[in-house]
Amino acid sequence: MSGIQLVLVTGFIFIGLYFITRLKKRLLDIVLLFAMISAGILFALRPDITNILARELGVGRGADLVFYISILIFWFVSLKLYARIRKLEQQVTSIIREGAIRNATEITDINIH
Amino acid sequence: MPAETQHKKIVVVLPVYNEGPVIRQVISSLLKIVTTIIVVDDGSTVPVIKQLHDLPVVLLQHKVNLGQGAAIQTGLTYARKLHADIAITFDGDGQHNEEDINSLIAPIITNEADVVLGSRFLPDSPGIVPFTKKFILRFARIINFLFTGVLLTDAHNGLRALNRTALEKINLTENRMAHASEFLFEIKKHKLRCKEIPVHVRYTDYSIQKGQRPRDSIKVLFDLLLHKLFK
Repeated sequence: MSGIQLVLVTGFIFIGLYFITRLKKRLLDIVLLFAMISAGILFALRPDITNILARELGVGRGADLVFYISILIFWFVSLKLYARIRKLEQQVTSIIREGAIRNATEITDINIH
Repeated sequence: MPAETQHKKIVVVLPVYNEGPVIRQVISSLLKIVTTIIVVDDGSTVPVIKQLHDLPVVLLQHKVNLGQGAAIQTGLTYARKLHADIAITFDGDGQHNEEDINSLIAPIITNEADVVLGSRFLPDSPGIVPFTKKFILRFARIINFLFTGVLLTDAHNGLRALNRTALEKINLTENRMAHASEFLFEIKKHKLRCKEIPVHVRYTDYSIQKGQRPRDSIKVLFDLLLHKLFK
């Protein structure tokens, strides 16, 4: 095993373990994650497989194929995060709105003094 | 105000964000037309209460700045609590003319429409719209049409009137400027009757400086795409 393979495989295993501890009961997520981690480890150990796949898909090199897939995954993750941010924003909005309505001040001449 | 509107409870929702110089003037002129004004301070740096201490309004304060859409929805939610018959949204920067309110609510009084939208581009609309604004708004109305299927003459005009039905049904989730298009989504979703009437918009140096810049339209478009994607 070369240096880079060692780094990549260790990295994948750590990421996998970290997510599995976080995603305890979400079966689908774990299966998906397991598939991706396995593919990652496989490609790190046998880079020639990416070359074969790349040629099948009409991409020149295996490294390029991995790069393109990474871009797709990056976009997917960005959108998921954006959706999460919007949800959080809506929750914050409703909390602030409730507070604003609860503390509505009716300004009249009486409460100036 | 015409006699038939006397028994209707009319409420103006005024979203305000750092409107220091003009807010008193806007509220004073509105008070000549309506009695209930809900001012929503959207987290202004200097709390607006300092400027309004002697004006008879209801003040709601957002603890942090959320955006005009969120401020309007807070005001509308409060208007529901007040059992308003008609709720009017009015921009806090003084660009609208309070005298347009009577013609704005007329189609609601006569039960011709559930939502009445102000337009700068109807044949009878007074005033001149600056060229870049006009160009962007023309483009925006097409975008709105593509997203909502509702083709209006104006887009993003802050002067609107809602009757009780619309007030109960419309719920804005877009915190920032995309709320103007979201109004149309909601109108379509709840099958509300909608009408445009000509209104005057004052382009003062202040309202231009406070208003939307051309590049903001890109942000609105992005928010709209996300709204459709994640609804």
